[in-house]
Amino acid sequence: MSATALPAPAVAGERRHLSYWLGATAVAVALAVALRLLGNEYGWYAGYFVLQYVVLAAAWNILGGYAGYVNFGAAGFMAAGSYTAIVLYESMGLGVIPGILGGAVVAGLLGLGTGYLTLRLRGVYFSIATLCLAVVLQTLIVNWDYVGGSRGAYIIRPMTVPGFASYGEYIFIVMLVLAVLAVGIGRTVEMSRLGTGLQAIRDNERAAEAVGVPTLRLKLIACTLSGALMGVAGAPLPFYAGYINPEGAFNLAYAVNSIAMPLIGGAGTWLGPVIGAVLLATLQQAATVTISSALNLWIVGWMLVIFVALFPRGIIGWFRNR
Amino acid sequence: MTEMTRRGLGRAAMAGAISTAAGAFPALAQGSNPIRIGYAMSLSGGLAANGRSSLLAHRIWAEDVNARGGLMGRPVQIVSYDDQSNPANVPSLYTKLIDVDKVDIVTSPYATAMIAPSMPVIMQRGMTYVSLFGAGVNEKLRYDRYFSMNVTGDDIKGTYARGFLECTKMLPTPPRTISILAVDNDFAQRAAESVRSMSREYGLRIVYDRSYPPTTVDFTPTIRAIQAARPDVVFFASYPPDSNGILRAVSELKLTAALFGGGMVGPQIAAVQAQLGPILNNLVNWDVYSPEPTMKFPGVEAFQEKYRARAPQEQTDVLGNYLQPYAYAQMQVVEQAVNRARSLDQAALAADMKANPFSTIVGDVKFGNLGEWATPRNLFVQFQNITDGDLEKYKRPGTKVILYPPELKSGTLRTPYGAPA
Repeated sequence: MSATALPAPAVAGERRHLSYWLGATAVAVALAVALRLLGNEYGWYAGYFVLQYVVLAAAWNILGGYAGYVNFGAAGFMAAGSYTAIVLYESMGLGVIPGILGGAVVAGLLGLGTGYLTLRLRGVYFSIATLCLAVVLQTLIVNWDYVGGSRGAYIIRPMTVPGFASYGEYIFIVMLVLAVLAVGIGRTVEMSRLGTGLQAIRDNERAAEAVGVPTLRLKLIACTLSGALMGVAGAPLPFYAGYINPEGAFNLAYAVNSIAMPLIGGAGTWLGPVIGAVLLATLQQAATVTISSALNLWIVGWMLVIFVALFPRGIIGWFRNR
Repeated sequence: MTEMTRRGLGRAAMAGAISTAAGAFPALAQGSNPIRIGYAMSLSGGLAANGRSSLLAHRIWAEDVNARGGLMGRPVQIVSYDDQSNPANVPSLYTKLIDVDKVDIVTSPYATAMIAPSMPVIMQRGMTYVSLFGAGVNEKLRYDRYFSMNVTGDDIKGTYARGFLECTKMLPTPPRTISILAVDNDFAQRAAESVRSMSREYGLRIVYDRSYPPTTVDFTPTIRAIQAARPDVVFFASYPPDSNGILRAVSELKLTAALFGGGMVGPQIAAVQAQLGPILNNLVNWDVYSPEPTMKFPGVEAFQEKYRARAPQEQTDVLGNYLQPYAYAQMQVVEQAVNRARSLDQAALAADMKANPFSTIVGDVKFGNLGEWATPRNLFVQFQNITDGDLEKYKRPGTKVILYPPELKSGTLRTPYGAPA
């Protein structure tokens, strides 16, 4: 490779980043305008439901998709964000934005700590450790009266927010911004040296280490980033629902969906989790209000089975292979 | 080339998402004639057993009302969605009901954890709301259009365990010690708090007081620890899977006590009664309904007859001796308020519910300040004369004998709770 060829990819990379941010912002604005024109509060709430999974799937993808470390504890990280928001609300009366920042910090630190303790484990052993983390966190929350313990905690949210038609619209816009940021971060990781290193770890960790990839450091960064984004996904939840309890915050659906969505969309790519989350979450939401719940769960289960069996690289992988 | 493919794929995905989302907003035929009553209910997941039987009770009510000519001359139509026992699903379902389905009246899902997440949406829209078996939902929110169909009242700590502790006065020898074991969930912890706070008043020293996580499956060590403390009175506050585990462990370890039971959720359910059979004998437990002569409120037997005829095919609780009559009564409150107010105006309905008593199949109901029952009615019943798992006897008096409250008392306490196995 010649020295003169080096600057070109950097400029191209910057352009690609810029095009993403401009494109994502345009799509986000179009979505917000379209829903406002629809003039229906349900649109905000259903949209929030889908977007929280976009953030969660993008977060899971950083560690699970790029590095191949399957995290079963997504609900735990998400709940860490939710309960950080509760603590900030209870102690200082802070709203959703400080809650998100606090949730990112706490869940990120949790990710760092978890990574430090467990990343020497590989494969299924790492997955079991993350599952245990969620169980330990749930036990902690259940026995912590300050955040409501087993009873759950209430947030009395404002009826209106200046500049927004309703609180539903406000919380949707917040989650929309978070989704754009989370996907953008995932995309940046994918295109950076960090992403390349993580992919090397996924392909062959020993070989990567042998050629000088700082595997533990990269995994810790990925774990922290992934954890922080999962916390971000969870922090607005108590403001969305006005109430949160351990059973809801640690619901198995979050862990299952955070894995299923990137797998269906295409793990290890920034767009895969977005496609998987939008497809699966929209389908779940639509099925919940149109057909029976049993059939809804049945559809999700079968989709997962079909994609894992027939399209192991997800929708993105299928398109690339054509 | 790869970039082009990705962009194309992105556009395709976005188009797909928008079109799929549009499918969630069906152009509903909003017939102006029927009065639409909407709610979310747990038809799958952990709360499904009670959710499904509540739905059946609501359907029976709707059929009864429509047979009588409907509400204000308009037929009643129920619009319900499955919340999958997941609180996060609830807010969007209620916005769907109110904004898309344009229901005239909303009622609640079953249980506190599902009712609470619906409250911000309900409050924002100023809807009048009758809930089903929520505990303390309105304590902090203090919403003035909230009404609760639950016997516990607004002071669970000060009233819930009163009936159980009053039963200690029926014992031949005054008991001196009590053990408390409660699962880590909202209702059970409130129940434990209630018995804890009142024990001293009844001369009881607490010799064992623990909680356990909901995931517990082996209660042998816990029951052995209670056995070692030798309490005269044993109080459990548990949920269905645990109640089974606890009572089986008690039976195997032959734990006995002069007064045994408490706030166990599970023994009220037909399937649990069939499974446990004589293990339930002499258990004194919190309940909400028993087919004793003192609780033969007008209409309850007719409701149960209809319910029991359809329960097997709907795969719900076959007896309908627990929350099912209350689910029917929940809708009776709506019905009577609409008929009195002659309006669907939410303020008018709330004003009526605040001002007037309701005559229902679970007795007369009057709501207090926070929307809870003005007078709590926590029943404490004792299981008696059980020899097997046959459920027919639960349809007749004498199996769940009411010990408390005095005005509904239908039998005398039998003691001690022994080990039938």
